[in-house]
Amino acid sequence: MSKKILVVDDEPQIVKYLTTFLEDSGYDTCSASNGEEALEVLKKENPDLVTLDLQMPNETGTRFYRNMTKDKKFKDLPVIVISGIPGRHLAVTKPFAVFDKPIDRDALLQAIKTAIG
Amino acid sequence: MLDLSSYDCYRLLDVLPYYVTIQDQELRIVWSNKAHRRDFGPAKQKTCRQLYKIHDSKCVDCIAKKTFEDGEAHSKEMQLTVKKGDRVSVIAYSSPLLDEVNKLAGVIVTSVNITSIKEMQKQLILVGQTVAGMAHSIKNIMMGLDGGIYIVNSGIKGNDQKEIKDGWDIVLLNFDKLSHIVKDILYCSREREPNFGLIHPNMVATEVYNLFKDLASRYSIEIRVDLDSTLKEAVVDPEGLHTVLTNLVTNAMDACKMDLWKDTHLVEIRTRNGFDGSTIIEVADNGVGIDKDLKNHVFEDLFTSKGDKGTGLGLMVTQKIMREHGGSITFRSRPSQGTTFVVTFPQRNLPGGES
Repeated sequence: MSKKILVVDDEPQIVKYLTTFLEDSGYDTCSASNGEEALEVLKKENPDLVTLDLQMPNETGTRFYRNMTKDKKFKDLPVIVISGIPGRHLAVTKPFAVFDKPIDRDALLQAIKTAIG
Repeated sequence: MLDLSSYDCYRLLDVLPYYVTIQDQELRIVWSNKAHRRDFGPAKQKTCRQLYKIHDSKCVDCIAKKTFEDGEAHSKEMQLTVKKGDRVSVIAYSSPLLDEVNKLAGVIVTSVNITSIKEMQKQLILVGQTVAGMAHSIKNIMMGLDGGIYIVNSGIKGNDQKEIKDGWDIVLLNFDKLSHIVKDILYCSREREPNFGLIHPNMVATEVYNLFKDLASRYSIEIRVDLDSTLKEAVVDPEGLHTVLTNLVTNAMDACKMDLWKDTHLVEIRTRNGFDGSTIIEVADNGVGIDKDLKNHVFEDLFTSKGDKGTGLGLMVTQKIMREHGGSITFRSRPSQGTTFVVTFPQRNLPGGES
């Protein structure tokens, strides 16, 4: 069974981009457009990795991360931060990797492979 | 013939455009030159602190005092209050004045008014911030374009018409965003004469309403118009008014999109006649609202609360247009309840003479 990736971004075009790219690369995907939705999808879909946009309004990205790591089950789930703002990733204590927008696709894929194969 | 021997030093110092004071051990001003007297009034026997109304704590770095201590020249940038109450920025230099036996007898303080340079410096910082903000927005657009192109290619490869269409829509969306940014930049940088014409503001409001209603419904925001049917025709720049309303409605919709607590969102465009023949247009929303801390920054150039989604150019352009019309822009807002922006266009005559 292929590994599943949860894409969290409030911009539908970015979600579409990342899910298309990840599916083309052989992963299953699920997505959410805000932190609250992401938490629901996380529990329902049990993904193997999360890509998280930290520039979503109202800090929902950081809040989602805090809530996620509080849950024992998801505490160690690898998170890849996608952020256009320098320093923003500091809100996530242990990101597996941090990517700036626009994303280097190949590097992203490489990071995901290293994280979950 | 210019005979310098007839000039005493005071006459020379009087014609200098800088502020010159001579001060004694107690820092009292024993003499001040003409430029100084003009801007600060008679200064004789006052200490500089009394004259400039400097608070004690601000005097720690007194350059005159330092010169008295070590006999060396010193300089410092400082802000002073002139007679009329305005604040001016100066660079002050203090140098020792020696008596016949080379004993330190006083200091001469020369200050150069650098207020206009400070002003320019502020403008330059602003320009720097604009460019940085713009680079940020463009980066985001590039990401969008990158994505759109990828999806189109992926669709072509898989011969998937729907995917091609989806990707192409993303490309177009970002192309659109880019043209908007460029338009805003041009608008800000250009000294443009408004193209005044006699128009019906309700018509422009309806145009903007039609432009946004479909887009709004996609985000489950309802746009309404509440137009005063007795609204008089007005002399405004139709393109300018259109831009003002588009910017305000875009902001109102963004405020709704950022609000996660209400189920139904509403943006309303209202028009009415103001006093003395002015035209008032309001754009109201029930979005996130603007909290106290942000209220003071709303009209700052390039201010945005939308993270990477905003450029801070929108209200800058809006304000510029309102200035060109001699009009005003204000807002009232309550956090998590909504915001209403109010623009007022004063009555004016057509450039040709008739109103």
